[in-house]
Amino acid sequence: MDFNAAEEEEFGFSRNYFLAKEMGSSGKKSARKLSDINVVDEQELREASANIEPKHQNDVADLINSYKSLYPKWVFDLRCGFGLLMYGFGSKKSLIEDFASTALAEHSVVVINGYLQSINIKQVIIALAEILWEQLKLKRKVSSGSLPKVQQPFSSRSMDDLLVFLDGPEMDEKDSFICVVVNNIDGPGLRDTETQQYLARLASCSYIRVVASIDHVNAPLLWDKKMVHAQFNWYWYHVPTFAPYKVEGLFLPLILAHGSSKQSAKTALIVLQSLTPNAQSVFRILAEYQLSHPDDEGMAIDNLYSISRERFLVSSQVTLNAHLTEFKDHELVKTKRHSDGQDCLYIPLTKEGLEKLLSEIS
Amino acid sequence: MAPSLNDDSPPSTIDEAFTENNLQPFFVLQKGPSRKSDRKSSGTGRTRRFDLSSASPKNSANIEDEKEDENMNLRMEAFEFVWSKIESTIKDVLRVINTNVFSEIQTWVHQSFDTIRSLGTPEFPEATQSFPIITDANSKRLFTGLVLTKNMEFVDDLLTFEELGKHLKYQGCHVANLSSLDFTAKNGVGGCLRSLLRQFLMSSLDPADISILASWYREENCNNPVVVIIDDIERCCGSVLSDFILMLSEWVIKIPVILIMGVATTLDAPRNILPSNALRCLCPFEFTLGTPAERMDAVVEAVLVKPCSGFIIGHKIACTQHFYTEPLSVILLEFASEEDNLVFEIERHGLSPEVIWKHVFEFPSCQRVKLNKLTSESLAHAFSELKRLQNQWRAVVLCLYVTGKGEKVRLLDLFCEAIDPESYNQGEFDTNMKAEKDPVLSSSQIKGHVICKAVRLVRDLSTAQLGKLLKMWENLTVGIPEINGKVKELLSLLNVEDGKSSKKDLTVTPRRHTSRIQLNIEKDSKSLSDKAANLIECMVRDYMHPTECIPFHEIFCFKDVDKLQLALIGDPRRGIQVDLLEFQKLLCCRCCTSSSNALLPSMHDTSIMYKLAQEHGDLINLHDWYQSFKSIVLCPNSKRKPRQSPLPKKRKGIKEAESQSEASIQARFCRAVTELQITGLLRMPSKRRPDFAQRVAFGL
Repeated sequence: MDFNAAEEEEFGFSRNYFLAKEMGSSGKKSARKLSDINVVDEQELREASANIEPKHQNDVADLINSYKSLYPKWVFDLRCGFGLLMYGFGSKKSLIEDFASTALAEHSVVVINGYLQSINIKQVIIALAEILWEQLKLKRKVSSGSLPKVQQPFSSRSMDDLLVFLDGPEMDEKDSFICVVVNNIDGPGLRDTETQQYLARLASCSYIRVVASIDHVNAPLLWDKKMVHAQFNWYWYHVPTFAPYKVEGLFLPLILAHGSSKQSAKTALIVLQSLTPNAQSVFRILAEYQLSHPDDEGMAIDNLYSISRERFLVSSQVTLNAHLTEFKDHELVKTKRHSDGQDCLYIPLTKEGLEKLLSEIS
Repeated sequence: MAPSLNDDSPPSTIDEAFTENNLQPFFVLQKGPSRKSDRKSSGTGRTRRFDLSSASPKNSANIEDEKEDENMNLRMEAFEFVWSKIESTIKDVLRVINTNVFSEIQTWVHQSFDTIRSLGTPEFPEATQSFPIITDANSKRLFTGLVLTKNMEFVDDLLTFEELGKHLKYQGCHVANLSSLDFTAKNGVGGCLRSLLRQFLMSSLDPADISILASWYREENCNNPVVVIIDDIERCCGSVLSDFILMLSEWVIKIPVILIMGVATTLDAPRNILPSNALRCLCPFEFTLGTPAERMDAVVEAVLVKPCSGFIIGHKIACTQHFYTEPLSVILLEFASEEDNLVFEIERHGLSPEVIWKHVFEFPSCQRVKLNKLTSESLAHAFSELKRLQNQWRAVVLCLYVTGKGEKVRLLDLFCEAIDPESYNQGEFDTNMKAEKDPVLSSSQIKGHVICKAVRLVRDLSTAQLGKLLKMWENLTVGIPEINGKVKELLSLLNVEDGKSSKKDLTVTPRRHTSRIQLNIEKDSKSLSDKAANLIECMVRDYMHPTECIPFHEIFCFKDVDKLQLALIGDPRRGIQVDLLEFQKLLCCRCCTSSSNALLPSMHDTSIMYKLAQEHGDLINLHDWYQSFKSIVLCPNSKRKPRQSPLPKKRKGIKEAESQSEASIQARFCRAVTELQITGLLRMPSKRRPDFAQRVAFGL
């Protein structure tokens, strides 16, 4: 019986997929363009998105408040040695931070914001080791024991050493743990395997308890069985909050805003900064030409080559081509067939965008 | 965050305090224990470690809270006690199961070590050189034990290899445990070397050089083998592993390393991941661990059937849930401590008698039995009764198990059947038994019934086998006089028979009679095994009360499997989609519940968007999506008909407001798309298809 149901479910899954696929390709596919929407100015869009009137504010608040009754249970689970994993739709950031600050008032709490783009996990672990060190020092003073001297500051120790320190023998008072709150443990800053391995090892340390949240439907794929069963020891809680993902979505582009001058000038800047000064200068020649000849369709390659050579930026056509390939790959430059039959180059940015870009790379 | 979220603290301050921290990769929210030292301990002398109730002034209502807290702490203690007992039992069982293999491995390790030594020990000048000794190919061989785990779940075997390491260490070997994480392409062979140095030298020197290991070994007097255990070679990076093997094989005279590798699949595994030059260095031996099924049965026997903790489910999460929700679970602390006469001091558990009685009366099992008057004594009596019944149950299950052991009767199946109150209450077992006796009825319908199978086995036993079996039964039922007596009776009967038959064998009889006597003996033994079968049948019927049929079992039994499942494997893929599709159920709002499935403008934006997305194929045209979203949001009474036409013409007067709302609708659309992107239910448009977003999930 059970087996059949499971099988049915699996079939349903693939059937849905193929149905959807069919729907997409059966000619009914709409050809409408995103650009057909009369998109308001990006500035205005951002302003509006900052002022979206929340719906169901009271219901959401009630829902989140209703989880408060679970706090003692969560504390109990943490004391039993589990890690808490919160999932469900809506931002859970303030929920778990509120939990940590009210129910775990007697514990040190460190919060990691996994939704940010880059997180140095070693820094976090160093900070945890320092907190633990202080904590132990304080306790030893009370119980008049002596603590081995630190041979080395934590910041210069290896990751393994730090983890061993955090996994030290348990004190007589068992629940003197440090709570690590991880907002979006599946977030972009923590998503790579190595970081997840470190987090798993951190979670298995005797002095550490983890409270984490996930938002991505495929988040469990980040972990293998060892991490789940032996290290994280997850206790799952389904706690949808329906609170808006304000901070979490801060770094994602607005779908209706991409393609505008600001955004691509910004990406162009990032690409340019990673190129050699010579390449930057070649780009500058092209940009200056485009600004001074606004009516031209573009700059002829020969023209660009001769100017670049004059300024000792390239030694041959080959080096120029190498630069141009780099530009084209990153869509900094595009080619167009000139009306007289010659290929010419142009930069797909607006005048303002280009000016801004030039001022920033100089 | 919604400002009304936090009633008891000013919300604005929280908001402000958090915004700055929101952009930090990490921050310290609070440092706890500085205030801890001056924390007052509560009345009973235990420190109140947790503020389970929010900060509270002293008044009469709080005394209840205090008691509740006290009880909670006691439950915590009970949990720790019970769980540690279960855990250590499991560990012990697994260790015992592996003992034979471990000692086999140990002898092999020492033999291999002797072989390596027999090839000669390096002279002093050679030994101090920081490069390997070049010798013939024969002395480059690396002794390798391949331990077949017969189990794809490598997690189950992590403990095994850890224990193996401990075992060998205890026998004087130098042991290092490596895992597949040490063999990653990123760290290369340096990674595993560093890990070796860490474990042998207890230091983390930066240059990972094997000559350091060689000089360490020289200082260690060279008398003991060096064992390197790799727990799962299938998950290692092949090239790194082969580099590692080649390196060790060159140094094997200086550092007599013996490898032990866990293999989950087949013996071919090394051949599949290693190149031939590395394979040539290995001198493999093969060891086999017990099968997962055997281990499972052993664990079930030790933890669930035998008295281990008094608690019925052996999963840690179940344990926590039980101790958290069941106030009386503290009693387990005493129940588990093997004492026969339980004396209750209810006050000790931080509960007032009234509370206890209330709880007890709420147990469905007690309502069934109709206990009308409860005192401490009657409660204690009930518990000892419970213990007695459990002992009986346990004895019968074990008797059945030893009966069927050779015939592939698995304890787990037996356990599941024996513990099921349904079949017990319905007398299913009896009918099955009848069917068993009636050859016409006995068909495939009873096939799955393990208990019947075990009983049937008894009937087919020969006298000698029966004798053995009865001996085992006798041992198992010690302490349960009712059963034990009957088994003894049968055993003595058997002995008499045995005596008779042996006597008959001795007396010389005419040939003609022999066959007849033989027949008689067979008949006798037949009747004896029938008796035995009848005995076990009646044991099953009369003494195997499933725990769930006994009053008060709620204290010891955890039954909420659904809850356990939810906590064990959350299903975010399904869960998040359901949240979006049925958000009104969770939010309990009145405005969005309607009989039809129509989308209402008052619904959560992301929810509207996700529901709309269901109508698209694998690709969603952003323009269409936006238009349908807009039409729903704008028209309260719309009947879900997306307007495909561009913006309708409007009068100039409301144009201002219109564009205003246009901006806000676009912003809401963007926000919803972003939120769907965060949940992973939507993939953003690619460069190739800038106007289409891609759906990721199809169906729940």
